[in-house]
Amino acid sequence: MTTYTVTIANRDNATYQVDARRPLLDALRDQGVDLPYGCKYGGCITCAAKLTDGQVDQRRQVALNNRQIAEGYVILCVARATSDITLEIGVESHDRLYRNPFLDPLKPHELKADVAAPKET
Amino acid sequence: MECCGPGYASPAEAIKAPREKLLYTIAIYTGTGIQKPDYLATVDVDPDSPTYSQVIHRLEMPGIGDELHHMGWNACSSCHDDHSMSRKYLILPGVRSNNLHIVDTATDPRAPRLHKVIEGVEIKAKTDLSGPHTVHCLGSEIIISFLGNAKGVAPGGYLHLNKDFEIVGRWENSMGEIKFGYDFWYQPRHNVMVSSEWAAPNTFMPGFDLEEVGHLKYGRELHFWDFEKREPIQTMYLGEDGLIPLEVKFHHDPDSTHGFCGAALSSNVIHWWKDGAGAWQWEKIIDVENEPHPEWPIPIPGVMSAILISMDDKYLYLNNWLHGDMRQYDISDPHNPVLTGQVWMGGLLGKAPEVNGVKIAGGPQMFQLSLDGRRLYVTTSLFSTWDNQFYPEIREKGGVMVMIDCDPENGGMQMNKDFIVDFGKEPGGPARCHEMRYPGGDCTSDIWL
Repeated sequence: MTTYTVTIANRDNATYQVDARRPLLDALRDQGVDLPYGCKYGGCITCAAKLTDGQVDQRRQVALNNRQIAEGYVILCVARATSDITLEIGVESHDRLYRNPFLDPLKPHELKADVAAPKET
Repeated sequence: MECCGPGYASPAEAIKAPREKLLYTIAIYTGTGIQKPDYLATVDVDPDSPTYSQVIHRLEMPGIGDELHHMGWNACSSCHDDHSMSRKYLILPGVRSNNLHIVDTATDPRAPRLHKVIEGVEIKAKTDLSGPHTVHCLGSEIIISFLGNAKGVAPGGYLHLNKDFEIVGRWENSMGEIKFGYDFWYQPRHNVMVSSEWAAPNTFMPGFDLEEVGHLKYGRELHFWDFEKREPIQTMYLGEDGLIPLEVKFHHDPDSTHGFCGAALSSNVIHWWKDGAGAWQWEKIIDVENEPHPEWPIPIPGVMSAILISMDDKYLYLNNWLHGDMRQYDISDPHNPVLTGQVWMGGLLGKAPEVNGVKIAGGPQMFQLSLDGRRLYVTTSLFSTWDNQFYPEIREKGGVMVMIDCDPENGGMQMNKDFIVDFGKEPGGPARCHEMRYPGGDCTSDIWL
């Protein structure tokens, strides 16, 4: 079994070993980390956390737009670690997750993947 | 007709019912940062009670993350002639979890208790549905609109439960060309159901990306159904006048074909009716203008997320969640509504940042009118992720419930000074309240056959 180390930066850098095959939400909750969640299939953003170091596979998520992904957000209910990672969890990590859509519009390449345009270079 | 089932023989009888003394509202922690279950709050609305204007009971759901939102009764006036039925159970769907909570409100109306949970995974496995919204009963059966399939992709469909809360299956025989689901209402004497469109759960649950409206990921159509055949037969394309058509209500009068829809983003009221030749027609009857704001690059839309028709079919109430006003229109002539009342509470325009000593985060959102049309209860939270975008201060302040005194004879509305429930002061931390219902039925639940 491949395992990786998850460091939670805003919980005194607590560390946990997680199975690379399991979604981070399940792997961390099983070890007593109190995490929010909603739909559990990657569609609703309630469980979003901020990845500040390392890599995850979150191909199954459909909730994040490309700007949120660029800001480091990951959907824990479907994301799996593919390296040792560092996360910030809970609403304290949501400073860049929510924005007023009228005051701060998305550029075409920042939309969700299914409607985003390629980034102009 | 043997008459001892739930509800009332007619809307006129409902208006004469005793005054409501208790009110139920859902309160959420999902998406707020507080790791506790959502709950059903009982609010004391009896002015002669020592606990008037307070939460007197909280029924927690079994787990976190449901996002309770709308709710509905197991039975209403459509079962009035069925003495074996009673209005005993309130059905509380979790939009995010897909769980349906069946709550017994009759054994002790002040302290409702959980009767049964239909697990979201069971609903997905048996019917391929997720994202539950509106609950209606039809006779002794129950139908619930779901906005997506099990993976959150539109248009979803309708779940059919029997009176024992067992899954019968999908209610509809076809979704036709319908792109999205949301609210629905039916008028059996005309064999018609009307449904509206929000968006796919995967689109609206994470929050509102305005750009997705242009990419046609939000609705702009109303659908008319052959109610007995359970299939859509006509679509009305509302275009720019009907962006995100949410709540739909027929007149309470079961003979009427007139109905109304609030288009949230366009902030318009759409009126439909059947003309003399038997064809369904629609028109825009109310257009709330966008308002300028010193810090906004574009004017602010009202965001009319709900509408309500008084039991006598004389008044239409609507909210502008971003502007911060509740409005009352006389719709005695449904083609020509007349603005008869307006009250400000919260909102982004700064017209009434404080009500009865409480600073309002959010704006007028859901509302429920007393059967006699004199008391309009209003709450301020829309949906956790959307709240977090437009009113981030609601995290600390929570939601509130206020009461507006309405004059059903002459028109007019005024904030009641003696009533306010501050969900920011809840013992578990700031909670957000949304839809409300009364034990005896209300102005958004009963349908007459």
